[in-house]
Amino acid sequence: MKKLELFAGYLPGLRREDVHHKTLRFDDERLSVVVHVPLLTPEQAHALVQRVKTASAQHLKSKTVSELVVIIDRVIAQLLDIHHPVRQLAQEVLPTVTGFDAEMLRVGLTRYLQTFRAMQLQRFVVEDFDNPKILDEFQPRVSGGWLKAFGPEALVHVWAGNVAGLSLWSLISGLLVKAANIGKVASAEPLFAGWFAQLLVETAPELADCLAVVWWPGAEHEHASPFLAQADVVLAYGSNASIAQVQALVPASVRFLPHGHKLSFALVGQEALDMHHAPDTARKVAQDVARFDQQGCYSPHVVYVQRGAKVTPLGFAHYLCAELAAVQQHMPRSRLTLEENQTQAQWLQALEMQAMQDNSIQILGQAQDPWRVVYRDAPCVLQPSALNRCIQVVAIEALSDVLPCVSPMRSLLQTVGLALQPEALLEIADQLGQVGVTRLCAVGEMTSPQAGWHHDGRFSLLDLVRMVELEGSAEPLAEQYAKYRV
Amino acid sequence: MTSLNSELLSFMALSDVDEAIFNGMALRLFAHQFENNLPFQKFCQQRGKTLRNVKSWRDIPAVPINGFKDLTLSCVAPERCERIFMTSGTTRGEVKGRHYHPNLEVYDASMRRNFAQSFMQGTEHLRMGVLFPTPLAMPNSSLAHYLDLALRHFGTPESENFMGEQGVDVPRLMAVLQACEQSGEPIALLGASFSFVQVMDALAERGVRFSLPKGSRLLDTGGFKGQSRELALEDFYAQLGHAFGVNAQQCINMYGMTELSTQFYDRGNAQLPSVKRGPHWIRSRVIEPMSGLEMAAGERGILVHCDLANYNAVTTILTEDVGVMQDDGFLLLGRAQGAQAKGCSLAVEEFLKAASA
Repeated sequence: MKKLELFAGYLPGLRREDVHHKTLRFDDERLSVVVHVPLLTPEQAHALVQRVKTASAQHLKSKTVSELVVIIDRVIAQLLDIHHPVRQLAQEVLPTVTGFDAEMLRVGLTRYLQTFRAMQLQRFVVEDFDNPKILDEFQPRVSGGWLKAFGPEALVHVWAGNVAGLSLWSLISGLLVKAANIGKVASAEPLFAGWFAQLLVETAPELADCLAVVWWPGAEHEHASPFLAQADVVLAYGSNASIAQVQALVPASVRFLPHGHKLSFALVGQEALDMHHAPDTARKVAQDVARFDQQGCYSPHVVYVQRGAKVTPLGFAHYLCAELAAVQQHMPRSRLTLEENQTQAQWLQALEMQAMQDNSIQILGQAQDPWRVVYRDAPCVLQPSALNRCIQVVAIEALSDVLPCVSPMRSLLQTVGLALQPEALLEIADQLGQVGVTRLCAVGEMTSPQAGWHHDGRFSLLDLVRMVELEGSAEPLAEQYAKYRV
Repeated sequence: MTSLNSELLSFMALSDVDEAIFNGMALRLFAHQFENNLPFQKFCQQRGKTLRNVKSWRDIPAVPINGFKDLTLSCVAPERCERIFMTSGTTRGEVKGRHYHPNLEVYDASMRRNFAQSFMQGTEHLRMGVLFPTPLAMPNSSLAHYLDLALRHFGTPESENFMGEQGVDVPRLMAVLQACEQSGEPIALLGASFSFVQVMDALAERGVRFSLPKGSRLLDTGGFKGQSRELALEDFYAQLGHAFGVNAQQCINMYGMTELSTQFYDRGNAQLPSVKRGPHWIRSRVIEPMSGLEMAAGERGILVHCDLANYNAVTTILTEDVGVMQDDGFLLLGRAQGAQAKGCSLAVEEFLKAASA
């Protein structure tokens, strides 16, 4: 078996031999990876944050957004190039580290990186700022006065390890607003952010000290605090429990932006269920279920399917089984731990018990299938599945029947994958928006949010900045003191 | 029913059985339960299992222990059952698993035969002290019945239950243990693992230790269940040795379940984790719970037990316990914990927590 030893993180100004490391091990039948993650002393952490702050003030804040877009685009181009050594390393190592299938990672990574090309990044910026120059210099306002958006002096990211490369969203957002970025990688995927940082610095050496990629164990107070205490904005991803742990360490004056647990689902209208479209609709839903094995906040847990078409909701559930079986051939599910397997088994056993007393529930698929479809012939409240390709198909009469099913989960709702006729789109979007949904997209695209999406309904960039207003009154007054005054 | 009872009693009386004989009995019971227990029949049908395609004890569909909560698993009308043992209901609030026993003839025979061999080890009677409520106080507890059975059949006349209304009567227990120390009469203490911890804490508070006579032994069962401090097994047995002067070799752990009619024992806990073994009328497998496939030797999986003494409910149950098969038994590695989702997708467990908050 091949063995690899890697160092995670990016620590400007610190020599590797001066840093204490912890070791994380990842093994599968193909590869054994040892990852050394840095564990800094409070003094080292403090100095690192200071260094990144100072350098950013000098070298990052002086760059224009357009210049930054060009730099980031060059880095992304390298990561998209399958012959680039970093991309090759990613493809070799990430399947072992994350447990996800190699092909799924290859396709997923490319689709993901494509959303960070220059044109997408421009869109990303303009989504939040009508006039992107507002990030570079004071811009005149129509209503009088001047306005400039200042990025945080120090932005600390706490990343989760569920989706490989998740760190890019917030790290790139941070760069675009010219923040000093300090990112903490997750033990479940400690590598990608460090690789990005290396490439960024190779591409733009003047930014060498403007970001850092670090690690600390869980939310251990003495290791996390030196970073969190020096931030002016903290972004945290992960389970509600881990977010709460981070939040407890963030000073009250610091802006805290959490992205916690979310629930997503799909909605299939009868128009997508004629004999011609139904298999294709099922194929797209199967893709959404299979990509990242439902670990993403945008992954569907339930598919609500409208009755009335040639293909019934139960028929659709059978199509979905066939498509999940097909997906398994080219994008196998990750290998589960006994604990993950037991989570699924208990979910299924509970449904099995219900099915014995309730004829509207049917369990489809065989014991050995690495996926499970549970069919319900009556509406039911949106519930999380056991992940790793377990999904419920629920029959509904009218599209609006989905509303009472999902509204009890208001605070948890995020993405809805749609397969509907055009007339229904805006109406259902309005209704679902009303009950708490923040993103609607085509089925098949649930795991690929569009560039510039408003994650959990928030602004990726706008939430990070501080608007500084030079009000109109200052200008006429200043004129009075001018040398040329008359 | 009586013929089945007596058939089982003679089966248990055999010195050992091979796979074929075990299979014969298992399939006979499967047919009996399939025909007389409708919820079980439905469960089997849902799994595509019938009398025709179940050909070995390994093919009998294992009922998850939650089935004892949701279904009435009995071949005899529940009102005609002499005894119902219930689970303590720690995992799902008030919903308790129910195990219906038309009578306790088979249960008691299973317990006694196995206990004599595994715990008494040739001694006919021992002075005993029980650290658990009596069947009178807990009529639906299989453990209370089990310990009472031990006391009545294997205890000397001076044996007693030390559990009072306020927990273990520590002064009384201390007096008895002191008397044993002086007389040299060995004593067996039996009870829930957490009762032992509570007693050890009480003794430590008083600064008291015992050095019980040779031949004394301890039987603990059931783990700590949040009723006492949680201890690592190494520490638990080390502290038992310290408090009672009984070495880990003489500390036997019993692994039993309300859903079963047969218990497993180890041969002392000098080496951890210890191998658990059952008598010839129970067989165990370790599986991957979703596929039901047996794990390769040495791999962790979920324990499934096929207990032929479970003639009225179902012979084969799927536990929530993690185990690894060994040549002559299995290692018990604790309860299977649900997995944490890796990121922002909501895991069922966390969802339940959030929903109940």
